[in-house]
Amino acid sequence: MTPRLLVYTGGVPDAGYVATFHMTSEADQLARMRSWLWTQLVGQALPLEECSAYLVAVGEICNNVIKHAYRGEPGHPITIGLAVRPDRFVIDVEDEGAPYDPRGYTPPDLDTVPEHGMGLFLVRKSVDEVTFDTARPKGTRWRLVKHRVGPPA
Amino acid sequence: MDIEVKDAGKITVVAPRGDVDMAVADEVRQRLTGLVDQGRARLVLDLASVMYIDSSGLGALVAAMKHARAAGGDIKVCMLESDVRALFEMTRLNKVLAVHTTRQEAVAAWG
Repeated sequence: MTPRLLVYTGGVPDAGYVATFHMTSEADQLARMRSWLWTQLVGQALPLEECSAYLVAVGEICNNVIKHAYRGEPGHPITIGLAVRPDRFVIDVEDEGAPYDPRGYTPPDLDTVPEHGMGLFLVRKSVDEVTFDTARPKGTRWRLVKHRVGPPA
Repeated sequence: MDIEVKDAGKITVVAPRGDVDMAVADEVRQRLTGLVDQGRARLVLDLASVMYIDSSGLGALVAAMKHARAAGGDIKVCMLESDVRALFEMTRLNKVLAVHTTRQEAVAAWG
């Protein structure tokens, strides 16, 4: 099992997207995003279980952006890009809000049955790599990577 | 969000229809806790029509569960779709909430 990392990358190279999606920071935009993402991933022949896991991860990052980066304010941009590599899928989620501050992250204690704070935990459980880049003029670029299982495409 | 609410004797069955995400999590939480406040704290939550749930939705279920338990009731969950079941397992919610295969089984489990 590949370690799931949550690390600062200090500048992520552009991925060369095969598809991009633009939304604004309202929760009622999330269903439209999921519909787009599902269509894209299925179209790239990613196994359905992996598509579902990606939906969870990207959805939680978008939740995080809406709640924290934009503090619940509507109308701010969120851009999602999908890149397909022979050995991996890469999804970037970019915002222009307050940069993500990892000092605010505490893994949830599942034994206490928490009502909040499970979002990034679910992201880390759903993809193989999680990185974020705040070395930008504004906002954060999250990168979510899933490795292909089996021989390269 | 479309949420079906049906009485089954002393049990109340609640069946949301659609994704339970950040956009509707508060509505689901309020619907469930509202039932508890009306004295209907023995709940069955039928998730057959929920194909996607996020951390906000799970948080709403946890809040409602705690509210129901504080009122002497509880929530029994049934009909989990595979992706939803995976999230219950990931967050260990399946260890905290009784999960049943069918609605009938969940209602019967109240005794």
